[in-house]
Amino acid sequence: MADTAHLEAHATGHDASSHHEPTGWRRWVYSTNHKDIGVMYLVFAIFAGVIGGLLSGVMRMELQEPGIQIFHGLAAMVYGIEGGEALDAGKHMYNVFTTAHALIMIFFVVMPATMGGFANYFAPLMIGAPDTAFPRINNIAFWLLPPAFILLMLSLFFEGTGPTALGFGGGWTIYPPLSSTVGHPGPAMDFAILSLHVAGISSILGAINLITTIFNMRAPGMTLHKMPLFAWSVLVTAFLLVLALPVLAGGITMLLTDRNFDTAFFKPAEGGDPVLFQHLFWFFGHPEVYIMILPGFGIVSHIVSTFSRKPIFGYMAMAYAMVAIGFVGFVVWAHHMYTTGLSLDVQRYFVAATMVIAVPTGVKIFSWIATMWGGSITFKSPMLWAIGFIFLFTVGGVTGVVLANAGADRALHDTYYVVAHFHYVLSLGAVFSIFAAWYYWYPKMFGYMYNEFLAQLHFWVMFVGVNLIFFPQHFLGLAGMPRRYIDYPDAFGFFNRISSIGYYITFAAMLIFFYATWEASRKKRPAGDNPWGEGATTLEWTLSSPPPFHQFTTLPKIDSTNAH
Amino acid sequence: MAAIAKNHDYHMVEPSPWPFVMSAAVLVMAIGAISWMHEWTPWIFFVGLAGVLYTMYAWWSDVIKEANQGDHTPVVQMHHRYGMMLFIASEVMVFFGFFWAYFDGFFRLDDVEQYARVAATSGMWPPTGVELFDPFHLPLFNTLLLLTSGTTVTWAHHALLEGDREGLKWGLVLTVLLGALFTGVQALEYSEAGFAFSHNMYGATFFMATGLHGFHVLIGTIFLLVCLIRALRGDFTPERHLGFEFAAWYWHFVDVVWLFLFASIYVWGSWGVAIHH
Amino acid sequence: MTGQFLKKMGALSAAAMALMPALAAAQEETGYTAGHPLPGQFHLQRSVTPIMDSITAFHDGILMWTISLIVLFVLALLLWIAFRFNAKRNPVPAGFTHNTLVEIVWTVLPVVILIVIAIPSFGVLSDQLTTPDGERKYLGSNIFSFGEVEVPAPELTIKATGQQWYWDYEYVDQGVALTSLILDEEDRTATKPGQPRLLAVDNELVVPVDTTVRVQVTADPLGVIHAFAVPSFGIKIDAVPGRLNETWFNARETGIYYGQCSELCGRDHAFMPIAVRVVTKEEFAAFMAAFEGGDYAAASATLAAVQ
Repeated sequence: MADTAHLEAHATGHDASSHHEPTGWRRWVYSTNHKDIGVMYLVFAIFAGVIGGLLSGVMRMELQEPGIQIFHGLAAMVYGIEGGEALDAGKHMYNVFTTAHALIMIFFVVMPATMGGFANYFAPLMIGAPDTAFPRINNIAFWLLPPAFILLMLSLFFEGTGPTALGFGGGWTIYPPLSSTVGHPGPAMDFAILSLHVAGISSILGAINLITTIFNMRAPGMTLHKMPLFAWSVLVTAFLLVLALPVLAGGITMLLTDRNFDTAFFKPAEGGDPVLFQHLFWFFGHPEVYIMILPGFGIVSHIVSTFSRKPIFGYMAMAYAMVAIGFVGFVVWAHHMYTTGLSLDVQRYFVAATMVIAVPTGVKIFSWIATMWGGSITFKSPMLWAIGFIFLFTVGGVTGVVLANAGADRALHDTYYVVAHFHYVLSLGAVFSIFAAWYYWYPKMFGYMYNEFLAQLHFWVMFVGVNLIFFPQHFLGLAGMPRRYIDYPDAFGFFNRISSIGYYITFAAMLIFFYATWEASRKKRPAGDNPWGEGATTLEWTLSSPPPFHQFTTLPKIDSTNAH
Repeated sequence: MAAIAKNHDYHMVEPSPWPFVMSAAVLVMAIGAISWMHEWTPWIFFVGLAGVLYTMYAWWSDVIKEANQGDHTPVVQMHHRYGMMLFIASEVMVFFGFFWAYFDGFFRLDDVEQYARVAATSGMWPPTGVELFDPFHLPLFNTLLLLTSGTTVTWAHHALLEGDREGLKWGLVLTVLLGALFTGVQALEYSEAGFAFSHNMYGATFFMATGLHGFHVLIGTIFLLVCLIRALRGDFTPERHLGFEFAAWYWHFVDVVWLFLFASIYVWGSWGVAIHH
Repeated sequence: MTGQFLKKMGALSAAAMALMPALAAAQEETGYTAGHPLPGQFHLQRSVTPIMDSITAFHDGILMWTISLIVLFVLALLLWIAFRFNAKRNPVPAGFTHNTLVEIVWTVLPVVILIVIAIPSFGVLSDQLTTPDGERKYLGSNIFSFGEVEVPAPELTIKATGQQWYWDYEYVDQGVALTSLILDEEDRTATKPGQPRLLAVDNELVVPVDTTVRVQVTADPLGVIHAFAVPSFGIKIDAVPGRLNETWFNARETGIYYGQCSELCGRDHAFMPIAVRVVTKEEFAAFMAAFEGGDYAAASATLAAVQ
């Protein structure tokens, strides 16, 4: 967009501000700089991602063969017990691992990476803003995450159901009564609840900052309808955060009082209703899945356009498809609850409403393809990740259409089919978009070019690995393997073994990623202001790499004829 | 640090320790809350709370200082308006969750599949054994208090706009007093409640919704009190008084939430039901 | 008109179904009579009820085809783009950003596809949630019909209660109950070596064939949520404390059909299987006569031992 933007912003900005830059630890801890905060978010997401990824590794090792291989030994080591006791402790520990894996990946990896890292760093650059609207709020939004993460980690080491069953093992959906004192009397669940409270406040504050920034700080001439799609995606996502997270906060507050102050919200014997919690949870939870994927939509749009050297096809439809997805995302929540005993009419409504989402999603996928159509495409690593995203998200999307049908969901609910579905849209969709963004913007953020071969190798190994993990899980689900199982009937052994092998390949891919990152930081190949050429038209490419500490000290002017 | 050379009206905020300090205090407070609830010690919580309160004071002092040195240009003031509106929107959604819980009991009182609930409540809402307040007694009085306080805060606002400092002062004094009175009446009402917070769905939803509202009244009152102190110190001009405006917005929000509570829980919820006197 | 259209669609979906699981059929040849997954199984478990028939027809006949074709279509487009529009072959990019016709097509066409999916979807769903009254006809395999399969009104009511971590079953009208626990490996290899690990239980729930069974599902009022599921019957419903959910099945073949708890319920979530033994009506009558006194062991002794 707007390659006619005035470049003196970049020329003067650096000199004017360089000698005011804070240095040392204060630069980061006291930061009021959106780019530094964005980088901290990314580092945090990578750190949390390593932990979340290792947890899933232990789970995949356990599931590699029928029977219980790993966890009773792990429990024996941790608690110093053996035999049946260790086995029981191991079973609980497995549930703790699945729960922690999900909560970490959602709240401490994907959200910090997209809405924290990339949105913070690039949304202001793309709209021509010198920083965000509330830099201190921005910083506290980041700094609340480590406490939230610490609370979640502490939860692993406090009593869940007993002295040899530490941590909360009730799934990220934290359904009572399993999450109330009936299922988990110990303080582990309280730590998890407060962790979610703190992470939620962090996200709400971050979202308020981003909405205000995008509404108020667009460069002169940049109307909403000329704004880059990534900024659109961030805007829609931030609204989802502001409106959905408080409902979760309310729900888990009721859970907290049910646990500690004997209230009856979710206790049927006292007039409460456990299914009420599920409604409150999914009223948040469904928008939450769009929160995780929408920024990816924005990222992929830019990458596809850049490497096709062609403007985005159907810009308005792309922007409003995201708005539509965000809006409809609020009225489909109970499709997660088809087996709870909802009435026929209610299930019919949620089937119909859910299927509607397929339409704007289809518009997006086809518009990306149309953007590439007729383009002059170079298959650099960001483009590989973006195309990988489009394909894998399509696979995850269509299985979503299957699951939307309550009639079919009857057979698939709570099976590995669901696990495969949401990992295709999240761990293959959202995560691929994160890596796409990483390789697309790495030269801009750090000023150096990574090794293209390593980046492409990372892509291919990861592509093979994650597909090997999750594609067979469709088969397991169809055949009826329930999710969140530490052990399964022997018939499910074959595809589980393949799935576990896929994990090891993905693990190797992550090693390549870390090596590539280390290599890039060591070799220090200057990237230049715009390594991607004429296809990269958004404002961040008009700045130096990395951009000056304070960019756009003179605001860029957007040429009214050259929109998106 | 010297201001940064810039050719725009945005406020480039200087690095600040408060976000980090606040986060650390929040962590201490969260751990403290758990240790209190599990009856280890309440003190960690209060240490954290003290940290949070101190940081709020320090942070907002910085904001006021920046306002006074002219950092809050018109566009920055617009930021603040957006921020405050979005914050209130998120608060509305918290209440949305608690209203949902209340109406789950209210509308689904005789859901036959929910046999345990029906057994506990006799399929009635309010459940058997719960004696309600007469909505047209203290609750109506409280409604009038809040509505009146809404007019007094508007009076203060108009007085401020017209440069009438006395009007501003007395409008705020009255609003703060009405707010405090509301809290007192609410406390009185709670003490006379014919049901408890614990062990029944009605009490849980009633106290959670009205209690959270009461907490917001308290915050709003403190917010207005701060504005009163600032007004007495000579802050706020007819053109520049965002802090005051936000206190007024917040107060109206609290007011509207109360009207919903009054209409749905007190009045509609007690329609044709025996009343506790 | 409509009837004929539906009939054609029905025939079409039947043909599609026959094509799709050709591999599945090959897998089924070798003694696939029991209601449990087979090694390497990649498709839905074998159906023995009209409800699972309709789910299978819906999934294998409509959904699987639709989604596979969409994915292949997108993949083909991506591959073609990679081949045709790479920088070498197409050095000068086009500049178009709009094409109204194409945009209308890719908005309207998905709507049409979704409607085609939705028609049988609502039928399949309505069947699942409507307990038979003897009059209503059910879809069975022909999901584009208005109902062809007759299902009698329920003659037996079972109440399944999820406990941590086993199932209690009650024959509601007969007033007898049993508890069903997983068999540990030692007991299974000793008593029921032919039954699958983690699925075999000590006491199976016994029901008659060709009979509509109403299943009321709940959980211990002071317990947690579980879910009662039997894949071959096409049923899955949460067992929620304090809530009585209801579903039904009518199995047409004798045998043992297994399911597993399908809502995370704590430590032994993976170890509270469901085993439903479908027997002939005569066998069931004898079983129930012996069970009247409440002695499950004596009652199950009337049935042939299943190893």
